Amino acid sequence: MASPEVHHLFHNPIADHSFSPEKATLAVARDSNVELYQKTGSKFSLTDELKGHEKTVTGVDIAPNSGRIVTCSQDRNAYVWERTATGWKPTLVLLRINRAATFVRWSPSEQKFAVGSGARVIAVCYFEEENDWWISKHLKKPIRSTITTLAWHPNSVLLAAGSTDSHARVLSSYIKGVDTRPEPSAWGERLPFNTICGEFLNDSAGWIQGVSFSPSGNALAFTGHDSSVTVVYPSAPDQPPLAMLNITTRLLPFNSLIWNGENEIIAAGHDCEPYRLRGDESGWQLTGTIENKTGSGAGTIREESALNMFRQMDLKGQTQADTQLKTIHQNTINTVRVYEETNGVVRQFSTSGVDGRVVVWTL
Amino acid sequence: MSQSLRPYLQCVRSSLTAALAISNFASQTSERHNVPEIEAQSSPELLLNPLTISRNENESVLIEPSVNSVRISIRIKQADETERILVHKLSRFLTARAESFFILRRKPVEGYDISFLITNYHTEALLKHKLVDFLINFMEEVDKEISEMKLFLNARARFVATSYLTPFD
Amino acid sequence: MSQINYRTINIDVLDPESSVNFPMESLLPATLPAPGTSSDAAGVASEVRQLLRSGDAEGALRHALDTAPLAGDDRAKEVHLATVIEVLQGIRQGEMLRVLEGVCGGSGGSERADCLMKYLYKGMAAPAQGNGAQSPRRGISPQSTGFSQIQPRNVGEGGSGQQMSVLLNWHEKLVEVAGTGSIVRVMTDRRTV
Repeated sequence: MASPEVHHLFHNPIADHSFSPEKATLAVARDSNVELYQKTGSKFSLTDELKGHEKTVTGVDIAPNSGRIVTCSQDRNAYVWERTATGWKPTLVLLRINRAATFVRWSPSEQKFAVGSGARVIAVCYFEEENDWWISKHLKKPIRSTITTLAWHPNSVLLAAGSTDSHARVLSSYIKGVDTRPEPSAWGERLPFNTICGEFLNDSAGWIQGVSFSPSGNALAFTGHDSSVTVVYPSAPDQPPLAMLNITTRLLPFNSLIWNGENEIIAAGHDCEPYRLRGDESGWQLTGTIENKTGSGAGTIREESALNMFRQMDLKGQTQADTQLKTIHQNTINTVRVYEETNGVVRQFSTSGVDGRVVVWTL
Repeated sequence: MSQSLRPYLQCVRSSLTAALAISNFASQTSERHNVPEIEAQSSPELLLNPLTISRNENESVLIEPSVNSVRISIRIKQADETERILVHKLSRFLTARAESFFILRRKPVEGYDISFLITNYHTEALLKHKLVDFLINFMEEVDKEISEMKLFLNARARFVATSYLTPFD
Repeated sequence: MSQINYRTINIDVLDPESSVNFPMESLLPATLPAPGTSSDAAGVASEVRQLLRSGDAEGALRHALDTAPLAGDDRAKEVHLATVIEVLQGIRQGEMLRVLEGVCGGSGGSERADCLMKYLYKGMAAPAQGNGAQSPRRGISPQSTGFSQIQPRNVGEGGSGQQMSVLLNWHEKLVEVAGTGSIVRVMTDRRTV
């Protein structure tokens, strides 16, 4: 396993990051701006800033084919940025929401994107040719609290959403004239806008922090603030799921997760390092961390550190230099994204976190 | 360190580590605001079950977690009137300087002597495990401090009393 | 007639769509057991005591955690809390780890661990039972001068101190077995004990 590539960009939290398809450009959300970095050699250097948001930017996503960048922020706005001869040009999106926008992702078809918000709606946005603007349609009905995370099904119609009301939902975002009619699947056959294809709640509740469809789209994984990962296999439309497997862990909660093939999930969060889970319909389990740490047992050393520290202070009048965590990320990981894959099998993935680092991991 | 103090602090440490898993979260009640939800108390689903850790009826810690902030309140042991006065003075001294203390709350939660408010901005700027270390350190020191002050006070009182009551020659 | 000050009314409370009125019952899973009453809890308590008397501490703890009245009323929960604490106090310190590994292993083990964690926190939150009535002021000298005699500061730990230290010891062992994740679940889980 090659050692991970670490890019320490700055000392601010990175709310979200996105690589362009050729991996030369990296967009990161920093405070109320989005910064674009270009790869020169093995390093990333700042080349452009997308200024326009007034409050913390919460989401950024680069469309792989068109190269458009969509950003959203706590100032309730989203912009679509297009590269022109004179620089990046923003287009305001008519979101029609009155609370913070919290998360944004392009659909795989790149015809639409979805914006989650604190106004208890998901705005599904698409381009209207005649008026030359992006307009939105709201997914509203069963949502009772802030949307924290979203994920698209490969068919660009189904949308998974996690919310602070502890439910993960699968909803249809079918828009006539934009989408082609999707193939019927285990999630549903006819899918008019705002069809609820599934609504899932863990026994121990907890805000949902990350959702993801498996590469085939026939399974959904979500992770909640109760330090667990749940995998759902749907059976048929309007039927209870074939299996809903809840894997409780002894770790701190995860914030984000991705699938690697149909039988592996990579998740990361407040423990500052990525973990791997393996399993299938009959059962899942946590197999361990992906990071190879130098030195042994960071956990146990940290447990005793208070006692040692005071002893150190007594003897030497100074604390031991234990300000550094043993993990590469020095603070919570916010986002995990696929970096390179072939047919759903991930070879490399990237993580970004509160410590201002973007790390590319090789499996 | 006394025997029963260690499990108490250990328990506080693990509970704090669990509670400090917080993230940036904009208010869903007021537009364009970002407030500590534990203070705003405007959405019940964003608050988690509070945890109480106590060593005995006079010493306990209350941890109130929410999505973007955690409130930690400490009840310091006060065995008699002197200690009550000392704790009161000490907590007043600290809260009056809350400005330069970042995580200190200006007013303790009812029933407790001193409260801290940690938000996601603190966990972003400061090291999380160091924050926990600091609070544990504080709890340990404050106990020692009070005992020490009480000893000084008694010593001084004795000195005053003896010189005051020294018979005239 | 007292006048209502309309300026101080919190109108958000009156709006059913407001976030203050979030339906908390929507966070409870459908698998919640039927609500139990205090007499059910008392029945369980006697079963548990029987197991404890017969020397099967592990079985007693397992049974007590499996029958936790997650949907019961406050009275039932209180009775059950007393049962669990009784079991915990009945197990010697040297046996704790062995019992815990037994209880938290096997199928449903992690649920039992989470449930035990809930009881540990609830036990610490509950006002001290039994001799908690002793006033903490007893150290004051007859003339209330405010100056008391110097005495070791740890004398004031009565029965409640004993109980708490048992719970704290259990907590430490349980964190070793079930990890921090179990504390996180105590906070998120709306099925309180």
